[in-house]
Parts: sequence; C-alpha cells; structure tokens
Amino acid sequence: MSLPKPMMRGLLAKRLRFHLPIAFTLALTAAIAFKYTVTEPKKQAYADFYKQYDAVKEFNAMREAGIFESVQPTGK
Amino acid sequence: MAHPSQLGFQDAASPVMEELLHFHDHALMIVFLISTLVLYIIVAMVTTKLTNKFILDSQEIEIIWTLLPAIILILIALPSLRILYLMDEINDPHLTIKAMGHQWYWSYEYTDYEDLGFDSYMIPTQDLAPGQFRLLEADHRMVVPVESPIRILISAEDVLHSWAVPSLGVKMDAVPGRLNQTAFIASRPGVFYGQCSEICGANHSFMPIVVEAVPLEHFENWSSLMLEDA
Repeated sequence: MSLPKPMMRGLLAKRLRFHLPIAFTLALTAAIAFKYTVTEPKKQAYADFYKQYDAVKEFNAMREAGIFESVQPTGK
Repeated sequence: MAHPSQLGFQDAASPVMEELLHFHDHALMIVFLISTLVLYIIVAMVTTKLTNKFILDSQEIEIIWTLLPAIILILIALPSLRILYLMDEINDPHLTIKAMGHQWYWSYEYTDYEDLGFDSYMIPTQDLAPGQFRLLEADHRMVVPVESPIRILISAEDVLHSWAVPSLGVKMDAVPGRLNQTAFIASRPGVFYGQCSEICGANHSFMPIVVEAVPLEHFENWSSLMLEDA
C-alpha cells in the first residue's frame, strides 16, 4: 500500500498567499482605527471647543485668576 | 505649555497649529499602516523554515511595490504642500513686532506707531512667584491682541537664535544680519510659552519666550502704560 505523494512544491508561495492578504487587511484596519479613534475625534474636539467658545468670558476668568501681566484682576 | 509625561503636541492656539496637528495625525496614520504591514511580514518571514531559492524576477510585484509607495507619498505630499503654502501667507497683518535675539535674552520692538521696545529676560528660579513655571517665565512678556494677524520680524544681534512658540505653530531662526518674517494669529486669549531653539551659548536653555494674547483694548492700554514707563 503506497501513501499519496505529499505536496512538495510551492509551500512558501502558499504561505504568502495566506498571510499577505491578512497583512494588508490588518494594516488597513490599523490605519482606519487610528483615523476614527484619534484623527476624527481630535478634529471634532477642536470644532466643538470653538463652537461654544466665549473669548470674553474666558479672558475675564483668566484675568481674575491673575494669569496675565498686562491686565490686572478687577479691583487691583 | 508642555505638561509632564506629554507625548503629543501642545494644544493649538492658532489656526496654523491646528492644521499642523491634523497633518501630523494624517502622516502618523500612514506610518502605522506601513509599520503594521512590515511588522506582520517580518514576523511571518522569521517564523518559517520555508524558502524559495529560484525566484529571479516578477514584473507584477515590482509594479505593485513601486506604485503603492508612490501613491502613499503623494497622499502625504499634497496636504504637506498645502500647509507649507498656507504658512507662507501673510495677509494684511494688524501689527508688526520685531523680536531680536541676544545672548541671552530676547528684545521686542513695537514700532508701528510709537517707539516701544523692551528686553525680556528669564525669571531666575529663585525669584519665581508661586504658580509660575520654572525656566519658562520672563520678566516682560510679548503682548499681542487676540484674533489679529501679527507679523514678527526676527533677527539676532550676536549669534544664531530661534524664536519658537509651539502652541502657536511658530518657529523661525534669528540670524545675525538677516531679517526673517513669520506671522501668526492667536485664536484665543491666554499665555503661550516657548524657548530659544538654536544653540547659542551657555544660557541657551534660559532665554524663554512668553506671548500674552489679550483683547485689543487691553493691548492698547498695556502699550500706553509701557510707553509711559519707558
């Protein structure tokens, strides 16, 4: 009784055909994940910050806290 | 200013710095894409004993690994050049300030209307008031009006220096005998810190830059007071 001849060629190519699509998919996933967990939230955070930003109110709060040297807190 | 264990950029206080932040995120996304691909391939290659000694060439793979990097480089270059030209635009500044680098302090001149000039020395550590920042505070701050385009002309009186404020996205070399120009808009009121960014001698680390952005009326009051004191 003889065994079937094992596959002896193209083993590396087969490994590459298996792993390269996974590699590209993983790389694209990493990039998309970074885009939607870091890049887009950061853009949105800046947009939201300036949408509600009241420069006068913030300036007055900083002024009263004594942060500025060119402007003293009211009452000084 | 920077805070301990900070990894990324300081919060942007000017439109240009916001653009630089977003571009950095875009470039870093591409870096993660390439690094993940390369790392996976390295691990796959070192965890096998399989080899192929008979590959001579392959037109298909050559085309792929030429075209893909070219596309990636174009995807990086286009936003990069956009920001580069954006940073070069100086549209009708409201104010021009001269910043001169010396060993080891900065001097600022506001000469648009009157002759206002003053020196800005670092406050030594032993003279700091509670709440002030070590190696970052200066005795006289460069005060500017908020939300106004400001042109800065930068030069030096002795050796090379560099005027840099990270949160405003500004850095420009101060070269003796040369006048460099840059501009910024402070998007919000506040105090923004920077440090000399070109080695200039023993006290290179001890000549900070402090920019104070306040509403226009307070800027005008400050400049009148400074002129009276001078």
